Amino acid sequence: MSVLLGALFLLTAVSGTGVALSRTPRQQVLAMAVNGMVLALLFMALQAPDVAFAEVAVGTAALPLLFLVVLASIKMDRSPPGGDP
Amino acid sequence: MTRPVPRGMSPRARLVLFALAGLWVLPGVLHVALHMPEFGAHPLPYGDAINASAPGERHLTNMVSAVNFDYRGFDTLGEEFMLLCAVTGVSVLLRGQRGEQRSAEPGVTPGRPIPPRSDATVLICRLGGPLILLFGLYVALHAMTTPGGGFQGGVIIASGALLLFLGDGYDGWRRMVRSEAMDACEGAGAALYAACGFASMLLGLPFLQNVLPLGTLGDLFSGGLMLIENAGVTLAVGGGFAVVFGEFLEETRIIPEADGS
Repeated sequence: MSVLLGALFLLTAVSGTGVALSRTPRQQVLAMAVNGMVLALLFMALQAPDVAFAEVAVGTAALPLLFLVVLASIKMDRSPPGGDP
Repeated sequence: MTRPVPRGMSPRARLVLFALAGLWVLPGVLHVALHMPEFGAHPLPYGDAINASAPGERHLTNMVSAVNFDYRGFDTLGEEFMLLCAVTGVSVLLRGQRGEQRSAEPGVTPGRPIPPRSDATVLICRLGGPLILLFGLYVALHAMTTPGGGFQGGVIIASGALLLFLGDGYDGWRRMVRSEAMDACEGAGAALYAACGFASMLLGLPFLQNVLPLGTLGDLFSGGLMLIENAGVTLAVGGGFAVVFGEFLEETRIIPEADGS
């Protein structure tokens, strides 16, 4: 196992722990995106570029976006303007 | 309602429980960890068999595509319809609540103003969006020769379209990504994949049997029927992800009074 792989495994563990330890949802979403990026690099280093493509697009773009949209939607003020909330 | 509401566990009790559970599974974990194959070793013969036979039998250099679209093409059909079901479910749930009418009024979060976009963001997104789209097309087109394929290409294309939203906002997204077209892409892609299977059946062959000429090994358009299946997957995945993005992004808009429930 090369130094690169060792470093990437370490990064995976660190970023994964970061996801588990994040306390606010928005931080957690970003931590998850970072974890997805690290996983994509790991897949690349393990010579699985097609999995890396899918991981980088789904894990760092699609999934965090959906979570962020849901968080924004929850926080939105849905009371009708001028009316009773 | 006479039962008391159960109180949460104290952190101390939780830690004790965790330690006990950890001790309980520790022997099993150790046993598995110590008996794993060497790092990088692959004892199963399937991969080697595919590597040895696919270039000759199917005329392509990307073995993952050979497995996805030919040797186990039927599994991919299942995945295709899984995606179709998921996208349909999201659309039905969200559109059903929101109604078909689209509004352009951005939602308001109390205490958070909507800042205008900086020119740099717009520029980077307008430059990056087309480049990512091109890269997605490249990945999807080269499914038979280099790593990647319809799924990866489709996802990259859809996430490139997201840069439109980031750079040009909701209005730009709505103008350039037509939801009707994306719905059609998703459905047509899945249908195209299934049609490939039925085409072989019409010729009296097994479902998804490769009936087209296979082409030359290493050529961009080698692989025969797999090329069409790959196009179907690209359409379905690109369209499906774009539909899901669109439906979710609509959730951050204000529903007009006349249309709201």
